[in-house]
Amino acid sequence: MAGRGGNRSRLLLVILLVTSLFLITLDLRGVSLTKSSRSATQSFLAPIQKGVSSLFSPVGNFFSDIKNFGKTKAELTATKAENAKLKSQLILSADMKGQLAKLRGALNLAGHGGYKVVSARVIGHGSASTFSQTLTIDAGTSDGITKDMTVLGGTGIVGVVKETTATSSVVELMSDPNFKIGVRIAGTQSIGVVLGQGDSHFVLQLLDPAGTIKVGDVLVSLGSDGNKPFVAGVPVGRVSAVNNSGASLTQEADVLGFENLNDLGVVTVVVAPPAHDPRDALVPTPEPTVTVYVTAPAVPAVSTSPGAGASNTPTPVPTPSATSVKKKAGK
Amino acid sequence: MSPLRALFSALFLFVIFTFQESAVARINFPIAGFSFYLAVLIALMALEESSGAVLMGFLGGFILDLAPSTGTPFGQWALVLTLIGYLIATNRESIGDFTSRPGAFVGFVSVASALTLASYLLSGTLLGENNGSFLHNAVVILGNSLWTLIFAPLVLPLLAKLRSLSLTSRERI
Repeated sequence: MAGRGGNRSRLLLVILLVTSLFLITLDLRGVSLTKSSRSATQSFLAPIQKGVSSLFSPVGNFFSDIKNFGKTKAELTATKAENAKLKSQLILSADMKGQLAKLRGALNLAGHGGYKVVSARVIGHGSASTFSQTLTIDAGTSDGITKDMTVLGGTGIVGVVKETTATSSVVELMSDPNFKIGVRIAGTQSIGVVLGQGDSHFVLQLLDPAGTIKVGDVLVSLGSDGNKPFVAGVPVGRVSAVNNSGASLTQEADVLGFENLNDLGVVTVVVAPPAHDPRDALVPTPEPTVTVYVTAPAVPAVSTSPGAGASNTPTPVPTPSATSVKKKAGK
Repeated sequence: MSPLRALFSALFLFVIFTFQESAVARINFPIAGFSFYLAVLIALMALEESSGAVLMGFLGGFILDLAPSTGTPFGQWALVLTLIGYLIATNRESIGDFTSRPGAFVGFVSVASALTLASYLLSGTLLGENNGSFLHNAVVILGNSLWTLIFAPLVLPLLAKLRSLSLTSRERI
């Protein structure tokens, strides 16, 4: 009896494995049935995600809030008084305000570059069981969004539209291991490719063998043929470390993205490119270093020698000529 | 496993999948993330008889393949989870009855979910997928196992009870 059960189980295994391999083959050959089934699931999930999004918005960062509790405890007392004052002025919820700030940043970036954009709210993130880095937005083909459109955040590129339905789209984040974008070093104009690594770090591979990379170099998107999937001139990231190895043919560098991809509430999708390439116009300028010079006033010296008392002339005491206090604006 | 039972199991898994994609995925877990769906699916496979575990693995994998965020070929999850289901089914007798050993059950689900994710990555590599850095993948797998270990004790007793209620008297024997 057990043997019969084992045989049945093996037969079932073979049938199911063959079915799975058949599905994989269909997908790799580009049969639309498998792709449309994912689109159908997205259409089904989008309204639920939209509903749950507003519910989970305050809970989403619960764990990071706990992690930062110790750090923020000291600040808590100071902000309590301020908070009470602000409460009276509060009209919109804090969540809404945060989203507005993000939207303002995203629209500013798009406006400076002359991109025609559609703004969208993030309603879902890629599941933990899929190793791909994606998010779902609440705008789709009915808003003019199609596949392979550039997605922007407040300070730079976020990713590219991977799938669309009428009311939602899936965005492949630039942290996805399959993500690649052609970039140009602002200033030197050397070109290279930035590759996603699955986390917040990226790798730049310089294509120009004679080019040089320096820490702090800003990378902007090179732009694609027909502006799809990438429009030109969008800030991508800043070089954080240069890895020059004699063995490698191309120079490599570690890059930090401008956008915090874990904290996206609102994004914009570029639906039409600008009339002309913005070149380096969108490169974020470093905040100026504020230098405050405090000069101590000359203190009149009081002489203790009896002979000197008659003249009553104050002798200048050597003072620090200029006590400089340098205050660097925090980034 | 009767066809009706397979249908109900698939519906139940789809509900869990919807919950995973719309709610659990919204939470930013500190280390990687937590796949509630995978934990539930592995627990159900562990409670099923041999052919049931294999079929459950395929159905669960097929549903997971529907995830819009999945960038891998359709059918890859079905392939991996069918094999995992078979692994569980063949070792069913040596594992024994989990319902009387909750600690072992939780540990098993946690280890099995890590093994499933690792197998998924391996199959992706064989299919020519770019999986990203090894360190990041290791963190995702270990992080998921850790969260499964933490959250599974809250869910598994309920799941075992739900399953025993759904059994017909014939299946109970």
